[in-house]
Amino acid sequence: MLIEFEVIERARKGDEAAFSQIVAAYRKRILGTISRLIGYPEDVEDVGQEVFVRLYYSLDQLRTPEVFEPWMYRLTVNAAYDYMRRRKRRRESRMSDLSEQQVMMADAVAGGKEREEEVRRAGIREFVQSLLGGISEDDRALLILKEVEGLSLKEMEQIYKVNESALKVRLFRARQRVLKAYEASRVAADEPSMKDPQAMKDAKE
Amino acid sequence: MDYFESKLAALWMRYREACPDPEPSPEFMPELWKRIEARRQATLNVLFRRWVEVCVFTAVLALVVTTLMAPRWQRMPVYQSTYLDVLTAADFSDEVVVLPGGEVPGDLQ
Repeated sequence: MLIEFEVIERARKGDEAAFSQIVAAYRKRILGTISRLIGYPEDVEDVGQEVFVRLYYSLDQLRTPEVFEPWMYRLTVNAAYDYMRRRKRRRESRMSDLSEQQVMMADAVAGGKEREEEVRRAGIREFVQSLLGGISEDDRALLILKEVEGLSLKEMEQIYKVNESALKVRLFRARQRVLKAYEASRVAADEPSMKDPQAMKDAKE
Repeated sequence: MDYFESKLAALWMRYREACPDPEPSPEFMPELWKRIEARRQATLNVLFRRWVEVCVFTAVLALVVTTLMAPRWQRMPVYQSTYLDVLTAADFSDEVVVLPGGEVPGDLQ
């Protein structure tokens, strides 16, 4: 826990200073989780604020401060889902946009080593996002929370409100789907690609 | 499969490194409070609108019911007959029945 139960209890009773303390303690972590869930850095702060607005208006429904963190993750995942659904709806209008990697590539032409490093990272981000793009939002959130955020099954049980064995089955299936996409991408990588070969190679190595 | 699984596990780690927790902008907190206030205002507006809607609906309903029922209420007399009709119809006996012994029946006392 990044904050004491007593602060959560005070915030639950409507203390705005206590709520600000919670936001200050959790915002960085929540923004990180959101950025890995949605994959669009420009919208991370917006989704993060939505999470805290929802927290503010639902804090009185929190049964005990002990379950605060899973509760917070649940709100984060839900806000990320909502964002992804909205994004999917307006995706068509943005199909002509340059991908993040292409933009970084363009910047890198004029930049030095730092830029190159950023291009490499952007390549990894884009590759993972493309893998995750092939699976459902549920599977995507599940895998990110488990594999990237490093949450335990116990913590995930509290977030998803399902038992461990059900969670394991869902995780197994989600992993299989990503593995399949990963294998397929490796096969495709052997073929000539239109994208930047160096960044893609870095991502897959 | 194990080969790909281990590669994928490594990829998750690299993804984690490639996506560090972003630093919130200085505008994060002020913007957040603005949104909280805006949501509160929106909720109040919705509640007020609902209340107004309920009032208007009730008033319209009352008006319609009154308009429809008024002619019927006006036609409907309060009494079915006049006082004289009631008196005429009543079977009054003018004679006092005197029982032997001078007793008067209870209902005539």
